[in-house]
Amino acid sequence: MSGFEPKILAFLCNWCSYSGADLAGVSRLKMPPNVRPIRVMCSGRVDPAFVLKAFASGADGVLIGGCHPGDCHYAEGNYKALRRALFLQRMLELQGVDPRRLRIEWISASEADRYAGVVADMTEIVRALGPLNLDRWEKVRIRKR
Amino acid sequence: MNNRIGVFICHCGVNISTTVDVEEVTEFASKQPNVVVARNYKFMCSEPGQAMIQKDIGENHLDAVVVAACSPQMHELTFRNACEEGGINRYLFQMSNIREHCSWIHDKKTAATQKAEALVNAAIRRVAWHEPLEPTFSEVNPATLIVGAGIAGIQAALEIAESGNPVYLVEKESTIGGKMAKFDKTFPTLDCAACILTPKMVSISHRKNIHLMTMAHVEKVDGFIGNFKVTVRKKARYVNEKCTSCNDCVDVCPVKVPHYFDEYHSERTAIHKAFPQAVPNTYVIDKQEKPPCIEACPIRQEAAGYVALIRERRFKEAAELIRLRNPLPVVCGRVCYHPCETECNRDYVEKPIAIQYLKRFALDWAREQGESIEPPKIERRAEKVAVIGSGPAGLTCAHDLAAKGYDVAVFEKLSELGGMLRVGIPAYRLPRHLLKEELDYLKKLGITFKMNAEFGKKITINRLKEEGYQAIFLAAGAHAGVTLDILGEGSEGVISGVDYLRRVNLGIESHTGRNVAVIGGGNTAMDAARTALREGAEKVTILYRRTRAEMPAAPHEVDDAEEEGIRIHYLIAPTAIARGPDGKLDVTCINIELGEPDASGRRRPIPIKGSEHVLEFDMVIPAISQNPDPKLFSNGGDQLKKSRWGTIEVDEESLKTNIDGVFSGGDVVLGPSTVIASMGAGRRAAESIDKCINGQPLENFQTHMPKERIARGEDFRPHSYAPMFKDIPKSDRVGMRKLPAHARVKGYDEVELGFSEEEAVREASRCLNCGVCVECLACVKTCQPEAIDHRMQNELVDIEVGQILLATGYDLFDASHAAQFGYGKLDNVLSSLEFERMLSSTGPTGGKLLCKNGKEPRAIGIIHCIGSRDENYHKYCSRVCCMYALKFAHLVKDRTDAEVYQFYIDMRAYGKGFEEFYNRVLMEAATVIRGKVAEVVPSGPTLKEQGHLVIRCEDTLVSKFREIPVDMVVLCNAIEPTADSEDIRRLFSISRSPDGFYLERHPKLDPTATMTDGIYIAGCCQGPKDIPDTVSQAAGAAARMLAIIAKGKVELDPIRAEIQEELCSGCRICNSLCPYFAIDFDAEKKISIINTALCKGCGTCVAACPAAAITGKGFTNNQIFAEIEGMLV
Repeated sequence: MSGFEPKILAFLCNWCSYSGADLAGVSRLKMPPNVRPIRVMCSGRVDPAFVLKAFASGADGVLIGGCHPGDCHYAEGNYKALRRALFLQRMLELQGVDPRRLRIEWISASEADRYAGVVADMTEIVRALGPLNLDRWEKVRIRKR
Repeated sequence: MNNRIGVFICHCGVNISTTVDVEEVTEFASKQPNVVVARNYKFMCSEPGQAMIQKDIGENHLDAVVVAACSPQMHELTFRNACEEGGINRYLFQMSNIREHCSWIHDKKTAATQKAEALVNAAIRRVAWHEPLEPTFSEVNPATLIVGAGIAGIQAALEIAESGNPVYLVEKESTIGGKMAKFDKTFPTLDCAACILTPKMVSISHRKNIHLMTMAHVEKVDGFIGNFKVTVRKKARYVNEKCTSCNDCVDVCPVKVPHYFDEYHSERTAIHKAFPQAVPNTYVIDKQEKPPCIEACPIRQEAAGYVALIRERRFKEAAELIRLRNPLPVVCGRVCYHPCETECNRDYVEKPIAIQYLKRFALDWAREQGESIEPPKIERRAEKVAVIGSGPAGLTCAHDLAAKGYDVAVFEKLSELGGMLRVGIPAYRLPRHLLKEELDYLKKLGITFKMNAEFGKKITINRLKEEGYQAIFLAAGAHAGVTLDILGEGSEGVISGVDYLRRVNLGIESHTGRNVAVIGGGNTAMDAARTALREGAEKVTILYRRTRAEMPAAPHEVDDAEEEGIRIHYLIAPTAIARGPDGKLDVTCINIELGEPDASGRRRPIPIKGSEHVLEFDMVIPAISQNPDPKLFSNGGDQLKKSRWGTIEVDEESLKTNIDGVFSGGDVVLGPSTVIASMGAGRRAAESIDKCINGQPLENFQTHMPKERIARGEDFRPHSYAPMFKDIPKSDRVGMRKLPAHARVKGYDEVELGFSEEEAVREASRCLNCGVCVECLACVKTCQPEAIDHRMQNELVDIEVGQILLATGYDLFDASHAAQFGYGKLDNVLSSLEFERMLSSTGPTGGKLLCKNGKEPRAIGIIHCIGSRDENYHKYCSRVCCMYALKFAHLVKDRTDAEVYQFYIDMRAYGKGFEEFYNRVLMEAATVIRGKVAEVVPSGPTLKEQGHLVIRCEDTLVSKFREIPVDMVVLCNAIEPTADSEDIRRLFSISRSPDGFYLERHPKLDPTATMTDGIYIAGCCQGPKDIPDTVSQAAGAAARMLAIIAKGKVELDPIRAEIQEELCSGCRICNSLCPYFAIDFDAEKKISIINTALCKGCGTCVAACPAAAITGKGFTNNQIFAEIEGMLV
């Protein structure tokens, strides 16, 4: 589909990935404007509901960025995030959503290049996948709490 | 819900406004629900910008504020403070990052503006859900931990100590001072590094509130700013603070290794001090892994130690060292099965060191020289201990206890002392006068010996206890031969090996046949066979059911037996013995084949059916195994617990039997074993008995049980300064001369003739000095203040501190990775640090510039940017190299007449006095050539050219290729992050920048802090810098830490998890998720509860709660849902 600009939401952990994204900014690395970051303290804070909510609210892709294994500021939150992401990918697939729309990446505070690369790469992948057509999800309401 | 929101959008000069249409975003924001006012301003973080926010809070009664500007990691705190001063809670604020995450990374204004609108919108939606929060406060522990005691750590420690607060200074080396201590002069002022550093080092040792821990590293860090709990592992120094630095120990230490402090260009001893002005001013013993020969010995004999002393021709000391811990050294020098040699690392090169022969040599030498070794003076104790049996186990136990002062009595059943040493081992292996020498020494120690005193008759356990013996060590040995269990074994002319040997050795009349068969393949079989030969047998045949490969006897014993004419039949076993009327013994034998390996790992013998045949002998000596005398358990020892093998059962660790106060070891427990294993048991028993008598628990034994052999690959090295096994030049093991076979069998003269001095020294020189210190204990003897203790252990120290400074320094780029410069391959190509040491007056040449051939160089090339400003290695500039290269040029000119060529890419003279220094050195006629060096090669083949080097490069200023001959090349190696910086980074939970150095909180405004509160960085661990910058940064970090200490408390973000009790179903899913164990289960209320003091606010539990009963304050579900919606509008 030509002219389609995907919307991708990125949940970035405060200590590694958000700082890595900051460094990408400081280093003036250019990347597509499709990824919109939300800061969380830890990738372990990413509730599966956030991901579903993002898709339900019109995101075409969701990126979760955490510290490298063993580097988590909170010891092991990134492992919890990974566990949830893998599970979510399976759930999404069952719902007819391409699992590549959800991606989890380990990006350290020094890996600005890596962040820019992931952003570019994911934008391309999701662009190729096209808009997420969630007619069936229209009535899905995620309870606010 | 907040419904009076103010939105403030920053231009950041032009940083944001170039790519983001700020006006449009403002317009957009003003139309969003709940937004009362939206404005933009050039610099929102400036005073007027903040005032604008505060004014609006007042005038427009704002209840929440959004600032769209830079990263929250940059200015969140600024704006929170501004909001608070403006009159609203500091947490009713949200920051939108439209600079790092938008304007700086996008080019197209439309797209960037659109994204900025989404980001701002998300913040507006989010802040509507914000609630006022109150920060929590935590007390600050005023103590500070500084890791690394180079100039940065030293400076910071002194600054903080000045305030009177405690500092823990942890340094991994044996001295403080870091790299600076190795330098000669410093640029650009040319003051002497030592002169300016050493006074500071001394102050460190004088400050009472600086707790210096050298040879230490941080192993664990817990907690948070204000309250860190740190575990430090302190390596044993083996020298305590009584050391007066007299250097006497260095004179006697026999081990020399390359000295790390001189970049391996000088030698030092195992006990050493890094450099004369080292702090602490205490020597240190370099003990890496324990030498394997020592570890393998059941009595922990210092084998490597006496081998080293023999190498140094200090034979008397070697003999004394052997005596020190070995009660039967002469015996061991002759009959030990030497597990030390089995474990010897040299075995991986070619053959192990002949440790046993060297031991024998040392003691033989001492005897021949008439050097008598006197027992030490011992303080006597009243407690009595009885030892049953005078074999190696009993004698060792008696020796150790007597040395501790106990009143020890040894009871021996036979008329002669020594147990198996006397009645089992033939005199040609262990001459009787030598055994007597051992016993005489033991008598001098004060041990009482009672001969013809059989256990079980008058001497019983109860009787001994009644007589006041507080402990008994049963070491009666295994003197009963195991029977073959075949027909006719009881015939006349059949006698067990042990019985035969005992009779011969005690001189009891015994008949030896002319044609003798010995059955078995162990050492007893060999001894019996060779003894029979000496007793007049004409033909001796050994029958063994397996092959030579499976034979348990020592290989050289088997060789000796064969040399003496003994025949060995393999794969054969007797099945019956019949005595004929002529007195001949007809031995029916069956042939054997070998099957699968059995439990012992040897292949199982399987008789071949139908292969029976008869051999004729007139004497048969079965010597297959021995057991303890079964009478032991009926006479006097009837309460002893017996194992199913007929041995005494003991606790493996303490050697305690089932009867209180009775211990047992040696063959009576192990079955037939070895002299040294029995001695090991005797030693352990002595320790147990000592503990038992002193009322200590039977644990934490100092005597050791040797570990299993660990295989070592070719890449293994004996210690960190030695070459790998595969690179060690091979050298033959020195063999021992023997009496010729025909001369041997005529009598009981000793077969092995010993080493000459030259042979011994040659053999000892093969030792690899595994683990560096070989425990010869020469230093202990020479140390007058008694400061040396080889038994010191590494220890773990727990400390509590409020803040931590990392000043872990740098490593030098290893130039051998850049092969074109010839480092590591060509002589006279030096790293910068090697050259610094050469320049230093305390260095390997005493400050003289010398080539490897000892001559002064006539031309020196100094090559800049080795590993730095290089795409292949490090892209960054190392900053200090240009200047120290100029310093080198100056010093060379100062001290020699050599030409100096500098090869540089760009000359960077950026600091105070640097440009002036550059000009000064240029005036001193140093030649500078602009161009990256292509390669350093050896000079041409003619004699005149040999031994020189040629530097090839392009002179880019004249566009010419040049080849410049020099005698020496100095490389300006890059500063790079330390090899362990990744481990340290993880340990302290901080980040590294792409170049590998520790990441500062802000590159300009906060270069000393890290993203982790309470952890600071200073010096080259943060990036390459010179000494003044390092000192400034360290002092800056100290000031930062002192401010927190002065404040006494820190504000902690109230971002914490909280459980709403009414929603919690008590499923306990969250309980196991928390890495800080902050969640407990309240069994009474049946709900989970969070200990807020432990919670760090990661939110993992919040995300996992199926009932949404946990709220993550500051990051609530509602806030994030709103943010998601806002982001996607």
